[in-house]
Amino acid sequence: MKLTRREFLALSGKATAGAVIFAACGIPESELIIQSPVELPEDLVRGEDAWFATINPDGRNGDGLIVRVMQGRAKKIAGNVDHPVNMGGHGLGDDAELQMLYHPDRLAGPLFRRTHGGVLAQTPWAQAENLLAQAVDTSSITVVTNPLRGHLGWVASRFAEVKGGRYLAFDPMEQGVLHGAVKTIFDADVLPDFDIANAHTVLSFGADWLGSWISPVRHTVQYGKLRDGDERGYMIHGESRMSMTAAAADLWLPTRPGTEGDVALAIAHVIIDEGLASDSEINAFTSVLPPGILNAYRPEAVAAKSGVPEEKIIRAGRRFGSSRPSVAFGGGSAGAHVHGTFALSAIYALNTLVSAVGSTGGVTLNPTSPVAGLSGSSTGASFQEWEEELAQWRAGNVETVVIRGVDLVHGMPDSVDIVGALRSVPNVVVFGTVMDDTMAEATLALPEKSFLEDWGTDIPEPAPGYQTVGFQQPVVGPTITANETSLISDARGFGDELLRLAGADIGAGSMRELVERTARELFDEGRASGSVVAPNENLFRTGALQRGGWWDTSATAPSTSFNFPNFIRGKTEAEFSSTSNLGAGIDLTLVPFVSNSLDTGRLSPTPWAQQTPDPMSSATWALWAELNKEDAKSIEVGEGDIIFIKSSVGEIEAIAYPHPGVPPGTVGVPVGYGKTEGGRWAEGRGENVLSILADHKDEETGALAWAATSVRIQKTGRRLKLPKFEGTVEAFPIEPGVPVLVVAPGETAHEAEEANHHEYQKLFESDETRREIGRDSKGDPISGSEAHE
Amino acid sequence: MAVDVDKCTGCQACVLACQVENNIPLNTQDRFERNRSIAWIRVERYWEGEFPDIKARFIPIMCQHCENAPCEPVCPVFATYHNAEGMNIQVYNRCVGTRYCANGCPYIVRFFNYWEPVWPESLRNHLNPDVTIRSRGIMEKCSFCVHRIRRGVRKADSEGRPLNDGEITTACQDSCSTDALVFGDLNDPNSKVSEMKKSDRYYTLLHHLGTNPNVFYLAKIDEDREVAHASHESEGGDGHE
Repeated sequence: MKLTRREFLALSGKATAGAVIFAACGIPESELIIQSPVELPEDLVRGEDAWFATINPDGRNGDGLIVRVMQGRAKKIAGNVDHPVNMGGHGLGDDAELQMLYHPDRLAGPLFRRTHGGVLAQTPWAQAENLLAQAVDTSSITVVTNPLRGHLGWVASRFAEVKGGRYLAFDPMEQGVLHGAVKTIFDADVLPDFDIANAHTVLSFGADWLGSWISPVRHTVQYGKLRDGDERGYMIHGESRMSMTAAAADLWLPTRPGTEGDVALAIAHVIIDEGLASDSEINAFTSVLPPGILNAYRPEAVAAKSGVPEEKIIRAGRRFGSSRPSVAFGGGSAGAHVHGTFALSAIYALNTLVSAVGSTGGVTLNPTSPVAGLSGSSTGASFQEWEEELAQWRAGNVETVVIRGVDLVHGMPDSVDIVGALRSVPNVVVFGTVMDDTMAEATLALPEKSFLEDWGTDIPEPAPGYQTVGFQQPVVGPTITANETSLISDARGFGDELLRLAGADIGAGSMRELVERTARELFDEGRASGSVVAPNENLFRTGALQRGGWWDTSATAPSTSFNFPNFIRGKTEAEFSSTSNLGAGIDLTLVPFVSNSLDTGRLSPTPWAQQTPDPMSSATWALWAELNKEDAKSIEVGEGDIIFIKSSVGEIEAIAYPHPGVPPGTVGVPVGYGKTEGGRWAEGRGENVLSILADHKDEETGALAWAATSVRIQKTGRRLKLPKFEGTVEAFPIEPGVPVLVVAPGETAHEAEEANHHEYQKLFESDETRREIGRDSKGDPISGSEAHE
Repeated sequence: MAVDVDKCTGCQACVLACQVENNIPLNTQDRFERNRSIAWIRVERYWEGEFPDIKARFIPIMCQHCENAPCEPVCPVFATYHNAEGMNIQVYNRCVGTRYCANGCPYIVRFFNYWEPVWPESLRNHLNPDVTIRSRGIMEKCSFCVHRIRRGVRKADSEGRPLNDGEITTACQDSCSTDALVFGDLNDPNSKVSEMKKSDRYYTLLHHLGTNPNVFYLAKIDEDREVAHASHESEGGDGHE
């Protein structure tokens, strides 16, 4: 039957009337409950999924991962609950790795630049292999990777060795100062573990350990445990930026850049002055220091220097000294100064004042690697070493550079002219997944397998207090394109290619062989009593792959006594670059920080990393600069104003985002933006803060002092809307000004709500506050002109 | 679901894990600029105080799965309804896009698809086959990862045993390294969420609206608050003036 619109409406009207009459007849309520008869697609369980364990050697600490695979496609990455480093936790970077695997701009095949200044053009693998073999058949070769601790790093290092070349690792946010300070204070070659979960007081400086610092997922899991239980742990954090870690702290010490070591020593002064440590603890701390030197670090003096109120320094000292177990650690911006080793040494030395080393809730020194040949520790070469290396490149003394896992062009300051150095090298071979700024300078660009497609190992650093080896295995094979004519990426493993080129010189044919050899060696050494108990080698290897690794909780570091030397020596004061001749504006200290989602740019190509709001600013997709509100006001800058950030090296532009948590005199800018290349979602997005860093170095280690750059801020006069999550939804306060319910220890939520309500009522007691909040004396909104008096 | 605000670091891992698990469209730059991004779970950040005594507070917010959900009665096609397990369900193929539910939701956790979702062909490889892709013109929101619940129930049934507490986890919970998010059965008095509900820090968002959410929160603890609370008591106020 065909209905006209008029007929349809008539019938609908009758149906509606019928329903009303029906309802009015007193039908039992239960019959009117609406329950969907529809079986949703989500109600259907289709397909079997498989979960495989692996690790990401390029990730933040080789965290144990499990990957959900359906029909040969990776669908989800999650934390491996078995793995002792991350204990089931995973970071948002792990999720974003899926988009690196299936990135539409993944290198499909090898690219070759035939002539100097020519373009990179597709070339078959057979030819690429010949070109690669010719390129590495030279006496002057340098192999460059990101810091790697497992067999991939070992292969790169051995390959450089057998070719008579050099192996260098690069990390734009160098950890060399951290390793130096750990060596100075603990005489340890590998980074220790911090027992945050069992501490009563955690004191940290500079390191955004909940966001990006060395092992953030492990730290975050431990932070959850710190806040658990009847005795909630207390957290003190000193940093010149309101980072995610500073936000989580119970007490934030907003230090002026470069004064973290001073504040640490002022805390030591409080503990000693108030007798909060035993004589032996005080003696262990002070015996190596020049007599009376701590008088220079009295709280009132350090308060004036650091900008941290004296009352907060004293409170931190009392808490750290008396509420034990306590643990102190630092890194990140605290060590990225010309006196970085002094600052971090002062911080780590605090552990002796509270007997934290080797104690529950303190510092656990880690054992050496259980695998022969793997050091279990890695850090990038120092900036000083890099300057020397690049001088060799520029002088024409290096014929071939092989690079993987790092974007040197994006990661180095403009002062070293890395592009010029690369162009002085005849053969630049770059392995990678998506085109980056370094690959764009390559003579030969080779598509590299994702970590989800390859074999490998990793020795986490810091280890969890005992020997641990992560096992990496391919969880998916190569992916074909939708039209089924080719692969998304005809990629090869970096390690496999080097092993093939080296022939018998390295003594292994593939990364898989090295993984199997590692399992065999552990089994043969009688280590099948750790996390994997197996009667034979095959079952041991399979077990290790199924669990994502091998670890032995009894294989801890031997307890040793150590005495650190006087660390208050050399440079103890910060130095910053000059801002003279940079025009008008205000001078601020630049505080670069690692993006929570983009890392240092490794994940910039993925839309998931780009779209994830920054925890503090909620900014997405664009470079922003965090300014103190008063500083911004002084140059009439508000949110959305584009500003110049000028240093002695260069200048960048960023969208201003003033917020009330920014310490005066600083400007925070995230690392990871400003890639010229990087695929459709990264290229040309924002500018690169690393490019304008001055070339100051830590005096002891030669590491780049990346937090020692002063900049001049100028208004450009242009504006852009900052793409951010803030403002997308309306805030809904419990009471105005109380959007998140906070209780004091022992206070109930109900009591807090009552107290908040009481505070809220006070707002109506004066005409002035009533006008400010736009309410009348009864709390009702003021309407019309009254509200705008 | 329980949310322990004291443990939330604001890291956004839950936000991305939810995007991945539930095939949420890519939130491109223009969507943020138009305030049209979709996030079934979001982490809000609030400032409290003034520098240097300033605090940043984080709170994750998702569909509260209210017992008295304002979104349900306003839907003219019953695309959203309450199921027997206490969840607020969205039936995508019933939704006609009136957006009345979004207007009615005081928590602002319902999202409208203004555009057809688009993924480059190769990125479609990572789409979750358990979750329907929503088309332009319909509403979507947190489902408590209902597909994971169905899988969990089916598995327990096939093995002839009851579901164990903690056996079913949501994607956001999986990604939360501090265990700030805990999913479970409030009808089971021995479940972890039931234990958490007994906490003195228990509260629900906008409880005065009477929506009776199935998501509850445990308040943030701040030792500095002691001072303000003590001064309130010293004034003799009881909050009921």
